[in-house]
Amino acid sequence: MNSLDHPLDGAPMRGYLRQDGRKGIRNYMVVAYLVECAHHVARKIASPYEDDGVQLIGFPGCYPSDYANRVMTDLCTHPNVGAVLLISLGCEEFQRKKLKEAIEASGRPVELLTIQGSGGTTGTTHIGRVWVEAQLVALKAATTVPFALSDLVVGTKCGGSDGLSGVTINPAVGHAVDLMVDAGATVMFEETCELIGCEEHMVGRAVSPELGHALREAIRKADTYYRDLGHGSFGGGNIKYGLSTLEEKSLGAYAKSGSRPISGMLKPGIRPPHPGLYLMDTVNDGPVRYGIPNINDTQTITEMVASGCHLIIFTTGAGSVVGQALSPVIKGVSNSRVFQRMEGDMDVNGGTIADGIETVEDVGRHVVEAVITAASGTPTKSEALGHQEFVLSYKTYEPLGPGCLPV
Amino acid sequence: MAEGAANMVILAQNDNVGIALRDIATGSLARTVAGTALEARQAIPQGHKIALVDIEPGALILRLGVPVGIAKATIPQGRLVHVHNIASRYLNNDEDHYE
Repeated sequence: MNSLDHPLDGAPMRGYLRQDGRKGIRNYMVVAYLVECAHHVARKIASPYEDDGVQLIGFPGCYPSDYANRVMTDLCTHPNVGAVLLISLGCEEFQRKKLKEAIEASGRPVELLTIQGSGGTTGTTHIGRVWVEAQLVALKAATTVPFALSDLVVGTKCGGSDGLSGVTINPAVGHAVDLMVDAGATVMFEETCELIGCEEHMVGRAVSPELGHALREAIRKADTYYRDLGHGSFGGGNIKYGLSTLEEKSLGAYAKSGSRPISGMLKPGIRPPHPGLYLMDTVNDGPVRYGIPNINDTQTITEMVASGCHLIIFTTGAGSVVGQALSPVIKGVSNSRVFQRMEGDMDVNGGTIADGIETVEDVGRHVVEAVITAASGTPTKSEALGHQEFVLSYKTYEPLGPGCLPV
Repeated sequence: MAEGAANMVILAQNDNVGIALRDIATGSLARTVAGTALEARQAIPQGHKIALVDIEPGALILRLGVPVGIAKATIPQGRLVHVHNIASRYLNNDEDHYE
């Protein structure tokens, strides 16, 4: 498929229409545990149906968390989700009935099983599997509607970056982001702690002065938070690969955001109100609390999915293999050495830019083609390999400030 | 790789550094796909930066149009731009960071 030979919107994408008007590119069933104590039972219920689109997610904590409630609700009503089975131990503090009601209100089939009230491990596993099998019949028979790039919400993420990430695959993804935004898609980029030094450039791209102010403040918050935490993000490995400063490292990640105006800033679970490019604020509000804001790449991806991403474009230099439970992950690699070593995990090779074979624009088009292919139903590499990484932990956020989402 | 193929990328028009796509040897040409070329006056390893012009002390290092540091010394055209001659505007990046 060569997306440049015809309009991007001419691609044969199909989606599952949801009651709220959003469309999904997958029709997954979610099995969600509401405390770590229910994790094993949830996994036992889901594991026989891994290849049938049954995905396992959950929140491990027992103490209440407004953040976790919000993210779990957003995930269980995500457009890629067609039905939900909630697994509760029974005595955890998670607001399970409220979650079930929100899923019901979204028009999706939902069942809530408490292990303590369903015959323990064996009884709950049996009841759960019967429910899953019944729902899978309906999910597989579901009809689809045309899906356009303007329906699509995409997130970008990098992990295990190397010296070439910022000159090959990340700028290529930036070019892909420009193409997708121009075609009416919604794109988000993330990790404010890895954008320190890019704030003034971002301010210049903001669609309003108020948003520019909010973007600058979000990066300052990240800088302060990480200083208080005692974590630097720049060190020996970066220098070895030619990065000289923290802000130069940030720039490599920032290149994924392309060059289009920034339309707004999000917090986890808040959805972009209209197409365009958005920054996800990934750092806690307030003083250091619960430790490192996002403990790994997967938690950041979880947050972008909660804000509606159908797909994640993930760039790596060292060779990450992660996928995601609800949103397929497209993997782009910065160098041909790792591509050759891990070709089974990589969807796009950006190393051809350093090899002098392709340009940033060429690879950017390959990224868009990979997005369209995945949105058309073809599994990405990590998806086909069964990756369904998922992490959710404690965080705290204030409501979104004024000016973050200009009309 | 073919003789004369691009071994450097300049990420934005007004940048004063280029990035080596492969190791560039002392005395050889660093050149972009677009044909911009200059002599590397010292070895520039893959992923490292080369000065495209003479850079004065205190000048901002521009990569992708964004400042990524400040020159600590005069950096002549063709020389390596790295922690020995540029400083962060955010935090110390001295040799203590070396592994």
